Amino acid sequence: MAELVEINSVQPRDPELSKSYRPRRFKYMNIPFLVCFAALVVYGLIVQFSATSSDSDFNFTTQVLGVAIGIVLFILVSRFDYRSLSGFTTFFVVINVVLLLSPHLPFIGREVNGANSWIRIGGLSMQPGEFAKITVVLLAASIMSRYGGRLDDLREYLKALGILAIPFLCVMTQPDLGTGLVYLCIAAFALIIGGTNWRFLVVTFVILAALVVGIFMLDPILDGLVGSDVLLKDYQRSRLLVFMDSSYDLSGDGYNLQQAKIAIGSGGFFGKGFMQATQSSLGFLPEAPTDFVFCVLAEEFGFFGALVLLALYLGLIVTSIRVARNAPDLFGTIIVICIVGMWVFQILENIGMDVGLMPITGIPLPFISYGSSFMLVNFVLLGLINSIWAHSENNPS
Amino acid sequence: MLATIAVVVISLVVIALIVLVVFRWRSGTSYVRTRNKMGVKSITHVGVSAEAPKVAAAGGSAPATNITSAGAPSGQRSRFFAIGVIVAGVFSALAVKLFGLQILSSDSYQREAESNLYTTVTTPAPRGVIYDRDGVPLVTNRQVLTVLADADVATNSNVILRLSALLGIPYDVVRARILDSSTGAQSQRVVAKDIRLRDAAFISEHRDAFPGVTTQIRSDRIYPYGALAAHILGYTGTSSTEDLKNVTEGRDIEMGDAVGKSGIEQSYDDVLAGDHGTRTLITDASGEVQQVVGESEPTKGNDIYLTIAAPVQYVADTALRELVQGGTGTAASLVCIDVKTGGVLAMANYPTYEPEHFIGGISQDVWDAYQTEESHYPLMNRAIAGTYPAASCFKAFTGLAGLTYGFADATKAWDCTGTWTGFGKEYPQKCWEHSGHGWLTFREGIVVSCDVVFYEIARDFYNARGSIGDEAMQDFIKEFGYSALTNIDLGGEAQGRIPTPEWKSEYFRDVPTEAQWLPGDISNMVIGQGYVLVTPLQVARAYAAIATGKLLRPHMLKEVRNSAGEVVVEAPVVEDVIPDVTEANYQIVRDALRGVAVENDDVSADFSAYEFTFAAKTGTAEVAGKQDFAWFACYAPYEDPRYALALCIEEGGSGGRTASPVAAKVMAAAMEYSNGGTIEYKKISVNTPTPAGGDEDDG
Repeated sequence: MAELVEINSVQPRDPELSKSYRPRRFKYMNIPFLVCFAALVVYGLIVQFSATSSDSDFNFTTQVLGVAIGIVLFILVSRFDYRSLSGFTTFFVVINVVLLLSPHLPFIGREVNGANSWIRIGGLSMQPGEFAKITVVLLAASIMSRYGGRLDDLREYLKALGILAIPFLCVMTQPDLGTGLVYLCIAAFALIIGGTNWRFLVVTFVILAALVVGIFMLDPILDGLVGSDVLLKDYQRSRLLVFMDSSYDLSGDGYNLQQAKIAIGSGGFFGKGFMQATQSSLGFLPEAPTDFVFCVLAEEFGFFGALVLLALYLGLIVTSIRVARNAPDLFGTIIVICIVGMWVFQILENIGMDVGLMPITGIPLPFISYGSSFMLVNFVLLGLINSIWAHSENNPS
Repeated sequence: MLATIAVVVISLVVIALIVLVVFRWRSGTSYVRTRNKMGVKSITHVGVSAEAPKVAAAGGSAPATNITSAGAPSGQRSRFFAIGVIVAGVFSALAVKLFGLQILSSDSYQREAESNLYTTVTTPAPRGVIYDRDGVPLVTNRQVLTVLADADVATNSNVILRLSALLGIPYDVVRARILDSSTGAQSQRVVAKDIRLRDAAFISEHRDAFPGVTTQIRSDRIYPYGALAAHILGYTGTSSTEDLKNVTEGRDIEMGDAVGKSGIEQSYDDVLAGDHGTRTLITDASGEVQQVVGESEPTKGNDIYLTIAAPVQYVADTALRELVQGGTGTAASLVCIDVKTGGVLAMANYPTYEPEHFIGGISQDVWDAYQTEESHYPLMNRAIAGTYPAASCFKAFTGLAGLTYGFADATKAWDCTGTWTGFGKEYPQKCWEHSGHGWLTFREGIVVSCDVVFYEIARDFYNARGSIGDEAMQDFIKEFGYSALTNIDLGGEAQGRIPTPEWKSEYFRDVPTEAQWLPGDISNMVIGQGYVLVTPLQVARAYAAIATGKLLRPHMLKEVRNSAGEVVVEAPVVEDVIPDVTEANYQIVRDALRGVAVENDDVSADFSAYEFTFAAKTGTAEVAGKQDFAWFACYAPYEDPRYALALCIEEGGSGGRTASPVAAKVMAAAMEYSNGGTIEYKKISVNTPTPAGGDEDDG
């Protein structure tokens, strides 16, 4: 005891003085933000433990490993000053193009389910389209921050739009419509927060909507004329049809949607309990650990568990928006809002398709879905947000 | 759907309002703090463009950052507001939709999840046993050792090879049987039936070598007495899609079950059928069984006791067989019923068949062979489905009609010259005795079966049609159950025919020249010829009515007993009609029928060996293009009638000569049985007919 007192006595007793001895970085940790994201990651692992248990194609350890590497990446990126990335627009464009076209390269490109979305280097498979989300965010931020929060010039707007469309067009060569829509959503959020004239946005949106409807209507006619799939693949068409009428094809996507709804609906308020999800463990639910992981969660933990998930997401987004508003510069604000936009879209699409609000597309649910690529991407993005928060008060003028 | 959309829209608006309020509030409080914290460090250089300000503060602080246009700060705020609205919209839409799925329609989804999860497969139940009136089993069940395999054994060639070698069945056949999903996707498939006990034991002892294979004891029908009472018992077949569709209430038919297709098996199918055993399984999406959660044993169906007496039935069956095989006639049918209850004591037909041949289905060839003219349709229950001209057996009823309407009485006499011209010289009709009978009373007319006596009665009916109507005789005869179903508890009954003017005009509506009701029609009907058609059962029942004065409903069922042996259903005695005939008139006819028994030389000779008294009538029916059909109807004992019997032999010639000895033998057996005597009976074997084009086999 006496010895302890002696050690303590070495410490300075003045509280003001001891404050200055604390590591500075801890002060700039955004505690609510970190709590939300840590809770989401843990929640995700719990669900994955159950979802991967019945399917030998998936390995829970791999998922844990992804999280471990992600934490390291998060710490590294948090310490990195994001502002040094602001001047590299051209570089980001090149990186994006290279990443997104890499699956087309011989030797490393791999075709899965009719799409060239994967590459394989050594023993490691990954989806460049996931990693490109980071550079797409940075690209959008670096472009939009040039306009200083106000973009009223049509020429400049079209220029920005053109550059933002590059990643989308590249990913559609794979083709991967789901990821492409994520890029579009990131771009849209960047345009909104970047101060684009509302009229430009509205007109662009209307033109896009008309285009989608037009393609959907013209596709069967063109297919008939040419004799092969021209604009949309047949499965894409059918997915949209299923979305509009779930009784359309119960054996294919309609079946998936029906089983997803049964899984979610049968969960009830408190769910069937951990590891008790019959729909996924007996294989009625396809792709349970990846695209339909939310169904496992909703079946095991019920409406309550689903609301907890939504609350955690909302917490993460709200704390992120707070970071965006307090960001030291427009570049930081746009980065955070783009990341928020990505999350919101992926949450909407992934949960939305399970409950029949959105067409079925393979988009992972942030922090929950199985897959290391997207897990690492999320940790890097979280690191960026943390970096922006850390540098907002620590800003050398 | 509309409700959901409305909820989404409303919640969007509400959330938007909340967001608006929060942002307004924050702009007044927290941002002031934030701004203070950040001081003036709000301007930075970003990207390639010139200096652009980042305006973090809102509202009143705007003028302080004066480098960009004044509109920027409020624009920034509205953009954050827009982002907030999008986020709020997405989350509330998801929450509302989840609420709908997980709270509002949770029950129906839970049911669907359970129907995904659980599969119930059934195991067939043994059918009830059919006994005769004294408990002699006529149809029982045999324990059959059956090898069953799960569906996924089809992919395991090693197991199929072992089964093939053990059971001596070709590899492809074993595999095809396992692949056969006709009994249901998750059901176990029957690989082989009736295997040797040691093979079953081998499989049970080497479970490791036969994964997914089990042996089970199932039951098949067995007929201890072969073809005895074949038409009554009927046979079972595998349920068809038709059966599954037309299932009666309370009866549960699964694919592959045994279902009664004829006879008692058919008419009491729901009584005989037991309750399926069930296995409740948890299966995965591909239908593979994960776990058996529940299993219940099948319960046997109820047992049926018939009114049949096996010894009498045996005598009847063998008598008809010996008769036809002895060269008399081509086919024969006999019915013997209890006059007090309507219960059928024996019902025999020849040619017949063995129901056992139908177990597991018969080939199309054999089935077709059963339907040929040469085979004389062995599957047909002639006693209820065979319709024949009633011939002189009918005179008892037309005579009663004459007595009742006063066209005949005990003392009136008629002169038979052999040829009768009562309806005009151009329409002469002959008595069967072409030389004529001379002067006859009513009783003598029946004893010698003189046609002229009945032609006279027919003419009186015809002449009186103005006052009594032209269907008076037919209506009277129908009181004895003719031209109507007897409603016996067997399927496939024919109702026969009594011609009327109305019927004739309808029957010949396409040939108007033939459609008119002629005097000859009634004089033919009066002797049971012409258009008259009756079944042996109708005749037996009507003679019972003469004996007792009551027309009872014939039935095969005595009682139903459950598995505990308790009687749960007892067949009631149903009086269908009490014919409007005076006892005096009955007595005249009974006396005349007694006269046939005593005074007809052939008949009295046939019955002379037996002690019981009886009353009878013979008949010889003329059928166009065929030899005469022989008829015999009787009841005994005369004083206190117990049984009535009718017998018809197709192309058997004279009723008095060919039918009478057979009827005597069967009636004697019935009397012996009712007096407690013992009659030997054993199994009857019948060959299946040779399929057309097949090798000739001695039958």
